[in-house]
Amino acid sequence: MLKTRFLTAGAAILATALSASTALADITILAWPGEPAESAFRKVLDLYNSTEGAKNNSKASVIYFSQQGFKEKMLADVAAGSKEFDVMLTATYDVGLYAPFMTPIDDLVTEDVYKVVSKNSIETQKYEGKTYGIPTDLSLHFLYYRKDLIEQLNTDPAWKAKYEEISEKILGKKLSPKPADQWDWDDFIASALFFTKSINPDSPTRYGTVLQMKNLLYNIMLWQGTVASNGGNWRDKDGNITVDSPAFKRGLEIYKIITDNEATPGDSSTYEYGEANSVFGAGQVAFMLQWNAAVPEFNDATKYPTVAGKLGLSHEPAGSEGPKTHFHSLGLGINKNTAKLDEAKAFLSWLATAEPMKLYAKEGGSPPLAEGLMAEIAGDRPEMLLMGEHAAKYGFVMDGATSAKAMGIYTNMAENFTGYWTGEIEQDEAIANVVADMKKAFAQ
Amino acid sequence: MSYASFETKEQASARALLVPLCLFMGALLGFPTLINLWYSFSDVSFQNMIGSFVGIDNYVAAVTNPKMWQALRFSLQFAVICTTIEVGAALILVFILHPLLVKRPWMTAILMLPMMVSPALMGVMYRLILNEFTGAVPVYLEMMGYAVNFLGRGSIYKTVVAIEVLQWTPFAFLILLTARQTVSYELEEAAAVDGATGFRSTFHILLPMMKPALVIVIFVRFIDSFRVFDHIYVLTGGGPGNLTTSISIYIYKLFFVQNTLGEAVAVSILLLLMSLTLIVVAMRLVVRRS
Repeated sequence: MLKTRFLTAGAAILATALSASTALADITILAWPGEPAESAFRKVLDLYNSTEGAKNNSKASVIYFSQQGFKEKMLADVAAGSKEFDVMLTATYDVGLYAPFMTPIDDLVTEDVYKVVSKNSIETQKYEGKTYGIPTDLSLHFLYYRKDLIEQLNTDPAWKAKYEEISEKILGKKLSPKPADQWDWDDFIASALFFTKSINPDSPTRYGTVLQMKNLLYNIMLWQGTVASNGGNWRDKDGNITVDSPAFKRGLEIYKIITDNEATPGDSSTYEYGEANSVFGAGQVAFMLQWNAAVPEFNDATKYPTVAGKLGLSHEPAGSEGPKTHFHSLGLGINKNTAKLDEAKAFLSWLATAEPMKLYAKEGGSPPLAEGLMAEIAGDRPEMLLMGEHAAKYGFVMDGATSAKAMGIYTNMAENFTGYWTGEIEQDEAIANVVADMKKAFAQ
Repeated sequence: MSYASFETKEQASARALLVPLCLFMGALLGFPTLINLWYSFSDVSFQNMIGSFVGIDNYVAAVTNPKMWQALRFSLQFAVICTTIEVGAALILVFILHPLLVKRPWMTAILMLPMMVSPALMGVMYRLILNEFTGAVPVYLEMMGYAVNFLGRGSIYKTVVAIEVLQWTPFAFLILLTARQTVSYELEEAAAVDGATGFRSTFHILLPMMKPALVIVIFVRFIDSFRVFDHIYVLTGGGPGNLTTSISIYIYKLFFVQNTLGEAVAVSILLLLMSLTLIVVAMRLVVRRS
């Protein structure tokens, strides 16, 4: 009897040990902070931990650095061989910088994954032919405008006449108002002037638009639609730097004209995403270029009662090549130093399935869903359809903008171009500085 | 035992006692200094972490880059302006508030409050407070008929100086107040009996007695303002252009954003050499005077 009990107990211990050895360990994810994506991602993790994670006995937890200096902290950590996180953030614009510290995940990108996330978004997570991340958020730009104001501009004869008068006086050509989805950059400037109180005392808003001109690389991404829409690029097919081009000069002038005429708030040189949202949300400007992430906020009447229900979305104004929008994806990939490669892969494989991606989208994230899934969540997130359409029709990535030097180049552009817009330096000097920096960066 | 051998034994034991401190300092400062010296002569990056020897290329790149000189100029100018205002304001406050604080010392704690906020948070706070639309200060000023744009190009320099002064004047105040309180009441009374009151008492008795503290506070505040980073980085990112790029922000960007670690470290080494020269000269002056 005693022998049987011992044998039973031994078998139980062995079974426990075996099951423990096949179970996966817990993993830690380093993700991008900020709402609404942060809350949405926490919901996705809850789902993982209660389903797939529970099945594998592997729990996933998330850590965040603050947004300010996030990339620098992550870079220092991975370069130091940190194992504090197993899954880490990836982004189109710095995938080349982080690639040496990450494990490629091409083996995870099966045909099934393409049914969940769009193929071109997977492409934005590639560097030198290898895939480093599962894209979780698509970022591009919309023209956000107040439907009530732009409609009145197009219908009210007095407003029309004033618009024509202002455009002729300041831009030297008589322009007529158009619906926002037909704007070119001249219309953008003229409308900004018209809705500026110091130029048009009858304007219902204090400024026409709000430009984000803080010395920050993301603000250059937002601006460079002005360049791409006029055929500009960082480099040509032969790898020559093409910043000293009419397209770049035109793009720089668009912001300069608006700044010089004070059609954007005077402290725009310290503005980024948050400030621009608060100005537009408070009804102080009629329209702005902004990242897609802001759409859910402006549809929330408790947060922005002035704008909710009146928000119009369109593609960026057109240049000679039609409208364009910078786009990139944020994603999650694997820290090369992780000791939990299997667990990290298991999590990413699960993440690239329909259920977590749909949940993420419904909760406020902006995953680059494949067409079929996009249609399924369109009822909850109508702007997601627009995102997919814009990425496909107008999306661009500048040549060299995924290289290891891309962040440095963006930052150098931010320093020089914001300097030009605020009158610190001349346009030629700003362009020459950027060209010199790019030559140095790409030569390395 | 002769006096000489006693002295030698004393010296030997003093040296022995210094060994742990020297080892500690060597590990804490010596190793990073040596590794940084190597970095400054190498093409180190986050990708290779050690790099290979490139001679003085990084130093040449550093001194031929006009942006470094611009950042250095900003930092020097910023430090001189802030130190002057902070120490001047603190001195005036000490003389005005000293009688009150003698009776109610707890009020000193209230005056110290700005110093307790982290500089980065200070930057975020003022980003909100001074915003043209949502900031309390511009809104109230506008209600009174004054339209001031604190974060605009024309006033951003003054704004970052003002934030630094508001945050760190309490520090200068605290040091100088302590120095003021060490001046004995009897001395002041004796001076008063001899007819030295008001202006004469301040300039011929109090200030000379507070001079060591004054020198220290100027020194500390200058160094602190010279290496300013947090609130400017949060508020302006060093812009517009490079208008508010301090030398610390410049080094940070070279290091983390441009991924030119060697050049960033070379600038740091150059700064260290400049600082050492300044410190040696200042210390010699102080020692000679004392």
